Amino acid sequence: MNNRVPKSLPAEIRPSLFSGHDWIALAIVCLTFVIPFTSTNPQVLSQTNLILIAATAALGVYIMQRLDLMSFAVPSFMAIGGYTVALLSMKLQLTDVFVLAAAAFLMPALCAIPLGALILRLKGVYFVLVTFVLTEIVQLLLFEAGPITGGSNGLVGMPAVKIFGMELWDNPHVLLTTCGLAFVSFIVTSVFTRWFRSEFAAIETNDVLAESLGLAAWKYKAMAFSVAAGVSGLAGFALVNMLLTAHPSSFAPMSSVNYITYTIVGGKASILGTLIGALLLVSATDYFALSGEMSPGLFGLLIIVVTMVARGGVVGVVSGLLYRLAGQSPPLKNGEQDLGVNGEKGQ
Amino acid sequence: MESFIATGLIGISLGTQYTLLALGFTLIFGILGVVNFAHGGFYVMGGYVAYYCNVILGLPYPVAVLMAMLSMAALGWLFEAFILERVIEDHQATLMVTMGFYLVMATAILMIFGAESPQFPFPVTGVWRLGGIYFPYANMIVLGACLAAIVFVYWLVYRTNIGRGMRAMSEDLPVASALGMRTKALFPFAFALATGLAGGTGALVTPILALAPHVGDSVLAFSFLTVILGGLGSVTGATCAAFIVGLIEAYAAVYLGGSKGALTLFALVLIILVVRPQGLLGREVRRS
Amino acid sequence: MTTHSLSAGALHADRIAKSFGGLKVFHDVSFTVPAGGLLGVIGPNGAGKTTMINIFSGRLGLTSGQVMLGGTRIDGRSTFEIAMMGLVRSFQHTAIFNGHSVETNLLSALRFSRRDRSVLERLSPLLDQFGLIDNWQRNAEVMPYGLQKMLGLTMALATQPNMLLLDEPAAGLEKSERANIDTYVKFAREEFGCGILLVEHDMEIIKRLCPSVIVLDGGRLIAEGPPTDVLSQPHVINAYLGGSDEEDSDVTH
Ligand SMILES: Nc1ncnc2c1ncn2[C@@H]1O[C@H](COP(=O)(O)OP(=O)(O)O)[C@@H](O)[C@H]1O
Ligand SMILES: [Mg+2]
Repeated sequence: MNNRVPKSLPAEIRPSLFSGHDWIALAIVCLTFVIPFTSTNPQVLSQTNLILIAATAALGVYIMQRLDLMSFAVPSFMAIGGYTVALLSMKLQLTDVFVLAAAAFLMPALCAIPLGALILRLKGVYFVLVTFVLTEIVQLLLFEAGPITGGSNGLVGMPAVKIFGMELWDNPHVLLTTCGLAFVSFIVTSVFTRWFRSEFAAIETNDVLAESLGLAAWKYKAMAFSVAAGVSGLAGFALVNMLLTAHPSSFAPMSSVNYITYTIVGGKASILGTLIGALLLVSATDYFALSGEMSPGLFGLLIIVVTMVARGGVVGVVSGLLYRLAGQSPPLKNGEQDLGVNGEKGQ
Repeated sequence: MESFIATGLIGISLGTQYTLLALGFTLIFGILGVVNFAHGGFYVMGGYVAYYCNVILGLPYPVAVLMAMLSMAALGWLFEAFILERVIEDHQATLMVTMGFYLVMATAILMIFGAESPQFPFPVTGVWRLGGIYFPYANMIVLGACLAAIVFVYWLVYRTNIGRGMRAMSEDLPVASALGMRTKALFPFAFALATGLAGGTGALVTPILALAPHVGDSVLAFSFLTVILGGLGSVTGATCAAFIVGLIEAYAAVYLGGSKGALTLFALVLIILVVRPQGLLGREVRRS
Repeated sequence: MTTHSLSAGALHADRIAKSFGGLKVFHDVSFTVPAGGLLGVIGPNGAGKTTMINIFSGRLGLTSGQVMLGGTRIDGRSTFEIAMMGLVRSFQHTAIFNGHSVETNLLSALRFSRRDRSVLERLSPLLDQFGLIDNWQRNAEVMPYGLQKMLGLTMALATQPNMLLLDEPAAGLEKSERANIDTYVKFAREEFGCGILLVEHDMEIIKRLCPSVIVLDGGRLIAEGPPTDVLSQPHVINAYLGGSDEEDSDVTH
């Protein structure tokens, strides 16, 4: 009947593992390694430290966002990572940075597996509620388990960490440790989320369909929860290492709101958004000399504004503008180009 | 024995407060499908409005409570109609705007009233005693008022057309539309009802417990506990769970001390989640 | 048990029943789709056809009875496990990965079912005929409904199933597009050797394609046999008169 020439499949274009945004984010984190060697200004050092810790912690939110889940659990896993490090270094005199980093990643990641089995069955809202309650539980446990956690005094007097036997004790060296931890976290997060991006995207957009095609969605959810916990643990390590103390107040339940804000305001679609969000908001808090009391209000306003008028966050808006300037349409979700109907673009 | 009964009374009065908060919370979830992170904020702000009216302006306490309810209902209405309504289809966005609104509210309170807890005593003092049982009149009045409010909510939900519409909506939106309910018009109403209740609860309870800008955090956590325990969207479940939470908290505070009560509750919630993820009385989540 | 049901890959429902709380959807339903065979399922709206597919594909549990695929009992297993065993379903309303291109949608189906690109080559005549190749890089979400539906069906086939459950594939398609369903079903059977359970309201399609149908109504299996015979039985006609509005309501949804 139909005597047009049959079309064959277009050739496959393999998308690269990292997108432009990933490369930019990794490059920025890489650049921060320069600061400890070039600056002695304590203000610059501590500011960079805070930004990197905030960004690393917010990666936990970013990873769970791949599955469209909003996680309030970041402070819990930061606490597990941070206290693990404090205990190892104080009680067992383990101070090697590699050993401590491995412990700070693995301990929360392992704790997350049974927890994940419990709460990942839950859909959207329940997941949110439970992660929120979880941070409250961990906070209470930190106070109640006095013999281990030091209760309301926390664990004070950690020895400095060592790299190849060399102590990393002064400000630039502490920042160097943070840079290293942040870099590892960014690499782990971007490789993990990009490697499984089809799976995550499918679960996010239509998990029922994904499962019906043979995808074991729970495995990917459990992995994501576990990796998010591990990365948060690294942030906890960096925080404890900066303060030389593990204290419950560093892991307050409401701080989870800050990490969520960084990811959402920066732009939840890419890892760059999390970094930019942390960079802008931590600097803004500092620049306007907002006392700790005022910044929640600012964050709240920003969250509302971004949610109502600029879903893509800062990075989404800026890259949207750049695409428009270049006269292109923005890419589809996975970084694919929307080329329209083939006919319209002339063969 | 007497202390056991007295503690039970405290547990029950805590239970009534949690019921009021959880009912509002669960109504909002059942009808709008929104987890209201700002719920604690309406509670605290209700407390501050009552404090302002009663202590600063010198209005009688009942008027102050009424003002708190009305102003929080009005604020809730405005928030729903102008902000929440626009993102109501996207559950993550509703979460973000209610959370953002909570932060704004808490900061506003802090800027206006400062971080210190203001002096906001309950206008009635004195203690009722029977044998060895002591029960402050203040708690008794609050208990009575909360019970009255609970009865009012039940009457509204189960005996009026508005309530029937609301329940129909929380069960099945298409059916409610088919019944000719103007469903969207109910959203701000339901939201205002819930936030008005939260404000009223704050006005009644903060003089007895504590008034400070940050008390909303723990109120939110306890509302969460209650609704997870009772099952999201279930009115009866929320009520039962609120009393369980109140009693456990009261007894644990007396017999275990410290924050062990809260830990017991959290453990209970975890167990519930393992054996009955939909909560004590929640319905199985319906899949399309 | 008949010898059919023991042959490799046959889908066999054995006295299955399902209720939601107090609501009994169906009970005591038994039938077999032979390996490579085709069985039509008809019945008014609310008869429980989608529920049955949800049960076979592992989304819902059974109240009683059992479901066998080949020699293995599959009820109570998870969806992805059943899909990996070769039983894959399509959805009544469009189910695709919104916001992604046609290509990504199909590649995801391959990836999740651990198939390689050669399956796409085999499917390419079908993809071409449905117009999916013309829309290869287009955001699937903004394509016409008919194309989205054919994409969803093709994704199910791309997993190379040996048993396909199709939930009203023609619902919502224009009359002119319905021939695509015939092509699809024939292609799946001839090229892939799939067994098919076809739930459909369009009696023309049922008559054209199915050697045999079962009728579900009021919670029971009320008739089975060749479509022309079954559709002339008075109690089947009655069942359909009771639910004559269903086709319209499906299209509007
Ligand atoms: N998850 C569920 N919970 C409760 N009732 C359901 C559920 N799924 C379907 N039902 C009910 O089961 C009956 C059969 O529905 P369905 O299988 O969709 O019918 P069909 O596909 O034949 O039109 C309907 O009455 C429907 O309301
Ligand atoms: Mg159906």
